[in-house]
Amino acid sequence: MYAFEFEKPATIADAVAALGGEEAQALGGGQTLIPTLKQRLAQPGTLVSLKGIPEMAGICVADDGALAVGGATTHATVAASTEYPGLAGLASHIGDPAVRNRGTIGGSLANNDPAACYPAAALGSGATIKTNTREIAADDYFQGMFTTALEDGEIITEVRFPVPEVSNYQKFVQPASRFALVGVFVAKYADGVRVAVTGASEDGVFRWSEAEAALSANFAPEAIEGLSVDADGMIGDIHGSKAYRAHLVGVMTKRAVAAAS
Amino acid sequence: MARDEFEAERTTYNFVGTRPDRPDGIDKVTGRARFGADMTAPGMLHAVILRSPHAHAKIVKIDTSKAEAAPGVKAIVTRADFADGLDGENWNILENVMAGDTALYDGHAVCALAATSMLEARDAAKLVEIEYERIPHVTDVDKAMAPGAPVIREGADDGSVPAGMHPNVVRYHESGHGDVEAGFAKADLVLEETFKTEATHQGYIEPHACLGHMGTDGKGELWCCTQGHWNVQKVCAALLGTETSALRVTASEIGGGFGGKTAVFIEPVALALSRKANRPVKLVMPRADVFRATGPTSPASMDIKIGMTKDGTITAAKGVFRLSGGAFPEAPMEFSAMCAFACYDLENVLQMGYDVMSNRPKQAAYRAPGAPMAAFAVESVLDEMCNQLGLDPLEVRLKNAAKTGSKASYGPRFDQIGLVETLEAAINHPHYKAPLAEGQGRGVACGFWFNHGGETSVSLMLSEDGTAQIAVGTPDIGGSRASMALMAAEVLGIPYENIRCVIADTSSLGYNEISHGSRVTYASGLATIKAAKDAVNRMCQRAAAKWGIDPDAVYWEDGYAKPSGPNAGEFDPMHITEITANMGATGGPINGHFEATPEGAGVSFGTHIVDAEVDPETGHTKILRYTVVQDAGKAVHPTYVEGQYQGGAVQGIGWALNEEYIYGEDGSLQNALFLDYRVPVASDLPMIDTVIVEVPNPGHPFGVRGVGETGIVPPLAAIANAVSNAAGVRMRQLPASPPRILAALKDRDAG
Repeated sequence: MYAFEFEKPATIADAVAALGGEEAQALGGGQTLIPTLKQRLAQPGTLVSLKGIPEMAGICVADDGALAVGGATTHATVAASTEYPGLAGLASHIGDPAVRNRGTIGGSLANNDPAACYPAAALGSGATIKTNTREIAADDYFQGMFTTALEDGEIITEVRFPVPEVSNYQKFVQPASRFALVGVFVAKYADGVRVAVTGASEDGVFRWSEAEAALSANFAPEAIEGLSVDADGMIGDIHGSKAYRAHLVGVMTKRAVAAAS
Repeated sequence: MARDEFEAERTTYNFVGTRPDRPDGIDKVTGRARFGADMTAPGMLHAVILRSPHAHAKIVKIDTSKAEAAPGVKAIVTRADFADGLDGENWNILENVMAGDTALYDGHAVCALAATSMLEARDAAKLVEIEYERIPHVTDVDKAMAPGAPVIREGADDGSVPAGMHPNVVRYHESGHGDVEAGFAKADLVLEETFKTEATHQGYIEPHACLGHMGTDGKGELWCCTQGHWNVQKVCAALLGTETSALRVTASEIGGGFGGKTAVFIEPVALALSRKANRPVKLVMPRADVFRATGPTSPASMDIKIGMTKDGTITAAKGVFRLSGGAFPEAPMEFSAMCAFACYDLENVLQMGYDVMSNRPKQAAYRAPGAPMAAFAVESVLDEMCNQLGLDPLEVRLKNAAKTGSKASYGPRFDQIGLVETLEAAINHPHYKAPLAEGQGRGVACGFWFNHGGETSVSLMLSEDGTAQIAVGTPDIGGSRASMALMAAEVLGIPYENIRCVIADTSSLGYNEISHGSRVTYASGLATIKAAKDAVNRMCQRAAAKWGIDPDAVYWEDGYAKPSGPNAGEFDPMHITEITANMGATGGPINGHFEATPEGAGVSFGTHIVDAEVDPETGHTKILRYTVVQDAGKAVHPTYVEGQYQGGAVQGIGWALNEEYIYGEDGSLQNALFLDYRVPVASDLPMIDTVIVEVPNPGHPFGVRGVGETGIVPPLAAIANAVSNAAGVRMRQLPASPPRILAALKDRDAG
């Protein structure tokens, strides 16, 4: 780790100001950034913690019925919530208890690890990513591995999830890291079904539109029998080939549909 | 030890067999225990080792000039800073500790430096300029012995290798008896199959770490995490060109070893840097270095042929075992060969082993080195034969089981052994009768390990208040301090809590062989019992002197010296505290000693039962139920024994299902982190049930057999059999990872 300054502002405005400084870097739960610093793979001048900002923490139901999750809310808090069972279920299986008690939803979405779980929930729910400056639709937010629509210094203050009729997340874990080798989030809304896949694609989280169409017509596992994603473009590594991941996308989608509640 | 020496030993116990709290528990949960990296010294430097990024490369030039000028740098060492003129294993160790003119594997140490802070050391390391010339490499054991494979070291053949083999084949083993071809001719079914396993790492949580301080006069001190500090002392002295006695080595608390800390990797480097800088040097391996450059197991490639009659009698068995110990001649292929068929009483058996060099790190021991992979291959073939002949796999094993007096497949006749008892316990265990659901499978397997005695010294010191300290020289890797205290308590007749066992440094006790070979509870235990008896004899002498009677007329019972009968005289029993309180005035301090090389370790057998469920859509295996049955001879502290059994099963589960060294096309290790190297964790596992069978070892006063290694021998086979029976497809290559199982299922369905 290299030396850095540390700030822990109490308001979003102060955090934005602090992040305007030279070489400043936002710090959520630190589940990716701290190991990166320890490996000396990053050298920020100032770390700005977002964990001391009351207006960014916690969960509530918005007037339109959507679930509003503060950007600094931990996975453990989401896991303990009851309003959106599919989302709570996903959060309850991220990492281990230590990770869930530190890691935040804003941190996860801002990092957009291609094997992270939360991007699947955000994209699969058609969530809105609220920042200190604007609102970004999930469909516009995720722009490839570790790439998002966020500008430098922009902070995720809240994520707003429309609550579906039924939903479920199924994850096949990479057995060492427990990240998703393939994770599929399925959510059925009145106007159709959304299917978001994490862990599998070289382009990061994506919507499986063929499955969405088939499931919107018939929300049953057999509806996607015969459908498959193209192995080209899938991640192939020591834990699973492109073809294996493509295969798992189909399996996990079927299971998510079967388990949706 | 001659067996008659123990004929009068007791068979009922007051302490042995109980489960008191572990003596190191509070230290470990409060952080007071000092592990390898926990020691500091005034003026201490921090060291880093630079390692080859190439699998095989000539080292053309090492330019350290910029690094030497970097802030805080106090010493830089290369091969030139170590002794020359070494030969044999010392030369091999040095060649591994610091490369000579060629880097032999990805991660091979090439240069090291020490600076006043870790950050300065790391920054300076980037300034060392090393020029490599890459040369062809080979990491696969079969490819390494194929024609045309790059030669790792010319002339490394020890003379045992049959003519015409590739120079990478450096040692050959052959053993057995009878006529296997005649045996196969008598069989109703002969099955021959080929198996492969990958290298795995011992996976200890504590990385190798040490603090060394050596003066320019060659005298030094070393603190390190090791399974055997006398070995570290001997090796370091040789590699640094100093006398053994000039170096005092203290073993730290140890955060796991499993055999991987029987070898020397970093200690001579810390000492060489220290000698050059004349300052203490601390060296802690990063995790990636542990994976890349400390002992994994040998990868193995094996052919097994077994003949069986319809009633399940094995008529002949033959095995060929090809193992690679990396770029060094030491793969434990003879252990694979000798253990492979040791569970069975065979008329005709033949086993051959080939030690093959490749561009991998120098292998190190990992619980029963060489045996688990051999058991996987042999027990898989047996399982398949039982399936084909419609026979119960445990009954077939019982039918062929080695018994007391059987001629072992590797030569000697077995003394009193307990394989049959483990098989009977397994057959009668509720697990073996429990129903299985669709998609689930059951696997069983037996396993054998030799166990070992080895050079051992123990001292036992009595205090004036009648408490005792035991100094042993075998680092405690499995609860041995508790076991020693229990055995001493049994002899002395004082409470377990009144005895403290410590691991003495190399200057405080006679030579002790490494904590390996499942030898500690057996050999240090035997020596502890003998040392305690020595002290008891001295106490009896003091009592006799006080009573004015012959020492032979005094005996020891439950902490008291007692006159042996009416003829000895009427005296009140004299308690240990009475004797020790006055020992200064009655002849001086009372201690007990024992040193020997006990040779009655007593071989050990186990039988495992596993239920597994295979997900046919993903290839994922879930272990549903696991039962370990193993002969402990006599379980001194049963909780630790159960822990050894469970740990063996867990490590076997990792090896069978997920763990493997993955080398890329470029010969570099692809998964040198726990984020990519997949050890099982608690949430992957069911509770591992254990059954302790006790068939006493005639070579130990209390009947103890070592239990540390046998437990990892059957799991690969038992799990592979369970997976194969669940999935309906035979897995001949480990690990049976989800993609590999799914591919096997697809191949089967495609016909």
